[in-house]
Amino acid sequence: MDPLSAAGGGLDAGRLRRLQLAGIASGFAAGAWLGAAEAPTKMVTLGLSPVVISLTMVLGVFLARWSLPALLRGTAAIGADVRQAPHLVVWAVLAGCLWAVANTLTVFAIRDIGLSIAFPLWNANSLLGILWGAVFFNELRGAGWSRRLGVLGGAVLMCVGATLLAIASSAGAAGGHAARGVAAALAAGALWGTMYIPYRKAYLTGMNPLAFVTFFTVGEVGMMTALALTDRGGLGPLVTELAGARDVLFWLLLGGFVWVVGDLFQQYAAKYIGISRGIPLSNTNQLWGLAWGLLVFGELRGRSAATHSQVIGGSLLMALGAAAIALASATGAEHRRWHEAAEREGSRYGIDPAYVRAALAGETGATTGRRSWLDWTLVGGATAVFIGFGAIARVPSLSVSWGWVVVLVAALAVLLVGTGLLLWRTTRFNYRRLGRLGEVFGGYGRFAPLTC
Amino acid sequence: MAGERGRLDAMLRDAQFWVPVAVLLGGLVVFWWIR
Repeated sequence: MDPLSAAGGGLDAGRLRRLQLAGIASGFAAGAWLGAAEAPTKMVTLGLSPVVISLTMVLGVFLARWSLPALLRGTAAIGADVRQAPHLVVWAVLAGCLWAVANTLTVFAIRDIGLSIAFPLWNANSLLGILWGAVFFNELRGAGWSRRLGVLGGAVLMCVGATLLAIASSAGAAGGHAARGVAAALAAGALWGTMYIPYRKAYLTGMNPLAFVTFFTVGEVGMMTALALTDRGGLGPLVTELAGARDVLFWLLLGGFVWVVGDLFQQYAAKYIGISRGIPLSNTNQLWGLAWGLLVFGELRGRSAATHSQVIGGSLLMALGAAAIALASATGAEHRRWHEAAEREGSRYGIDPAYVRAALAGETGATTGRRSWLDWTLVGGATAVFIGFGAIARVPSLSVSWGWVVVLVAALAVLLVGTGLLLWRTTRFNYRRLGRLGEVFGGYGRFAPLTC
Repeated sequence: MAGERGRLDAMLRDAQFWVPVAVLLGGLVVFWWIR
């Protein structure tokens, strides 16, 4: 019997299958774009403080997180989402704070114990995400042993593969503060793994990913600024360091922008396949980061055969793990358990049940489809900042294989367009075009499921 | 406004809310220790 034949929560089997496919494609696209975000940062060869590098990337992230949602959905639709469930703004800001602290801790972990030890420790976040998904949101419940084994086994395989890759790409020089480094890496993993609780909470309740990220980034940039001020010893030294590096800030902002594209896909993966599957698939970013390092920047050139074996073995294990997870998609029975979790959220926070149901079907939200002056101001402002810093950007003299840049950028473009189209056809990015604004707030049934 | 206050109360009573809050505070303590 087709496991999807008894689809969950009123969804027909075909609709559930399309949503799962969109979620899985989003997870793989997220990995590619998150991994590519490292590439622009390699253009920064100055001795900038890691915390300042992180802050500048987060500023690029902030610009992208306000301009892309304004372009794709419009601030009116985001406002409509927030009015449905305003408490989720707090959750989004909280998730942003978790991300910022985790990202900063990884910098210190690498400094103290090296990438090869630190990475596997914080990469355990996917296992923690699986735990939270099962405990809090009914993920993997009713999934059957083969699918549970696929997800858990796949995640473990990916962790082992990631460890091999980290060892291979590590410089191997640890700073000599083992206890502090291990604590930082473990804390980063716990923070990142827990960050997915707000993600899943928001998406089960009905918030659109494009609305969630606009508030997520407020917590992200606020917390990152606070950490940078603390680390640099105040505003004056921080501004001085930023001003001294103004001709390379563009690369960091660009890295942040690329990262946001990946993160948007990650959000859709978390929404449609849950955090237990979405996180591990997004963690394939390490494979892509390695591909950029090896092929474009010539890293590991002249290293031993053992190192290359580790790279090949680690990559194969990660690919196998990702495939196992992708093939263990949620059944109708599991999806019904997701609906139970969503109904519990709706009941707890007094949210329109029709809105919650439509959200799980990927059909929630409505807008006039028009863009306001505010949307164009946000898009224009962010574009102007990027152009401004791009105009004064200095291109360092690095050995770059431009042929591989073309190949990898083409792969990114294919994933962006392909997955974007799939998401659009399946969910319309969760909005439908209405003729009159009044219909948006027109009473019960306004978010009635659509047929696709 | 009453609805929003009710949701805020529900959030503060929601055990799931305190898990990320506790982990965030723990992360900040670790940051303070290692920096």
